[in-house]
Amino acid sequence: MEIAEERTIEHISQSVVKGDQAATVAYVQNALDAKIEVNTILQVGLINAMSEVGRLFEEGEYFVPEMLIAARAMKSGLELIKPFMTSADIKPSGKVALGTVQGDLHDIGKNLVGIMLEGSGFTIFDLGTDVSPEQVVEVIKSEQVDLIGLSALLTTTMPMMETTIQAITKANLRDRVKIMIGGAPITQDYADRIGADGFAPDASQATRLAINLMNK
Amino acid sequence: MKKRLETQQVNWTIELEAMPQFDMAMQRVYAWFENEIIDRPPVRFIAHNAFLEAATEDIAHLTKEQKKDWWFNSELQVDLFIKSIEGCRFHGETFPVFFPNLGPDVYAAFYGAELEFGEVTSYSIPCVRRWEDAELLKLDLDNKYFKKIEDLTRHALERCTGLFLVGYTDLHPGLDCVAAWRDPLQLCYDLYDEPDQVRRLADLAIADFDFIYNHFDALLKENSQLSVSWMGIPTHGKMHIPSCDFSALISEKFFREFGLPILELETKSMTHNIFHIDGYGVAKHLDAILSVPEVHALQWVQGVGDNYPIMQWVPLIKEMRSRGMPVIVDLSVEDLDNFIAVMDPRGLFLWVAVEDEQEQIDILNRIKKWV
Repeated sequence: MEIAEERTIEHISQSVVKGDQAATVAYVQNALDAKIEVNTILQVGLINAMSEVGRLFEEGEYFVPEMLIAARAMKSGLELIKPFMTSADIKPSGKVALGTVQGDLHDIGKNLVGIMLEGSGFTIFDLGTDVSPEQVVEVIKSEQVDLIGLSALLTTTMPMMETTIQAITKANLRDRVKIMIGGAPITQDYADRIGADGFAPDASQATRLAINLMNK
Repeated sequence: MKKRLETQQVNWTIELEAMPQFDMAMQRVYAWFENEIIDRPPVRFIAHNAFLEAATEDIAHLTKEQKKDWWFNSELQVDLFIKSIEGCRFHGETFPVFFPNLGPDVYAAFYGAELEFGEVTSYSIPCVRRWEDAELLKLDLDNKYFKKIEDLTRHALERCTGLFLVGYTDLHPGLDCVAAWRDPLQLCYDLYDEPDQVRRLADLAIADFDFIYNHFDALLKENSQLSVSWMGIPTHGKMHIPSCDFSALISEKFFREFGLPILELETKSMTHNIFHIDGYGVAKHLDAILSVPEVHALQWVQGVGDNYPIMQWVPLIKEMRSRGMPVIVDLSVEDLDNFIAVMDPRGLFLWVAVEDEQEQIDILNRIKKWV
């Protein structure tokens, strides 16, 4: 990359990390006008910035509001480059269906994971809350998703995660999807016990986990 | 330095058939508030959020409307509570308390938010989608949720004599209320995008707090009840449980800017404030919380999942104690000996999840030897 290009990409990245939506849009437009490769804008400018945001979150420097405004800035930049992604043969990072399990209406964590995954280039199918195992099976069939993310906040509802995984297995779809779970009462041990592919304690680590699972 | 509202307090007793040591239990509670011990630290035999762990009836099969009717059935709710304490004897400082409960967002619902009812809790439906919607928010004493809390309280008062205490509902003014009106994640955006609107909503979410509190306090005191809520720790004055679950999502800077002014207001007219710290996300604001002199005690809840068990949080609990705060801790029986081994009993109030009566008595005897 030339120095001017590098500087533009750096500006994009910094704007995302700061959560400055207007600046992100302006710099991404500058990058497009300067004919910088779309994949470079996406990977080096936008997605790397979200990785940095995740790091700052995990280190306790950023909190949820900072993560959200950064993801919003990233998404605005992404919208600008989307029309050029097909011609550049850039595919989404993967398709993810997210839902809070049946009987549970808590959605903060699930929504946050969705926002962060979207910011990392995933296509999201948000099934909402109180999601039945049948709904999950259906979305695997209809949307060919790669990954299922299940959330539960209550100890009374977490067994529905296992029920949902059993339903996926019974429908002979278990080999087609990876399954990750999260929520306050969830642990890695629980994820292992019920046959999930992974567990993440927060939205930032869920994003990293999703990327890792997609690469397996 | 703790600051307690001075009142001309007259202490009265309540006769409870299943809790003959009521007065002694009250004395232990008062001693705990002063970081003192009479014969042992107070002990409550219950786990935090026990009522969320198991519904008193299986209502999973009910429709949304039927679930709401179940929660709104005052007679049934009081019946279920009485059934749950039938034949029980209450040891330690395990006060049998019925508190009228429509979920944690009922304060937001008093102003017009709608609640959706699940099996063990309820969820608010955000009602301030556009800032103009805030104009519709108004405390309404004829509001169905306000009326139902009154109704649940009165039903319980009619049947409590000799059996149990009646408390007031779980009140979350301030940022938790704003989050219920606006949606928690939307409120996170608002902190950056529309801070003045957040301040406006936060002001509204505390404006009537004293009025609401005093309304239910008067209803209870007219019936010679104590001041108690879901935490089950009664006092003769005005006991309150300030909390801010939303603060787990935000930085200390934002908490100090938007949450702390509310905490100062909601605690100032109470005689006993026990701040409910729901996990490490809230505990990161400890310095700010303790800057309010009217915060008289803390409840530490480590939560579940990887945050369980308690021993990993001993340094934090010691930090709270070193700041002079009486602290409630939530222990499993398995943690008890390890915890006792590393902590000084002064200023601790133990919650232990044990149901068996003989085991409760054994634990009380073990704890007496700790002193």
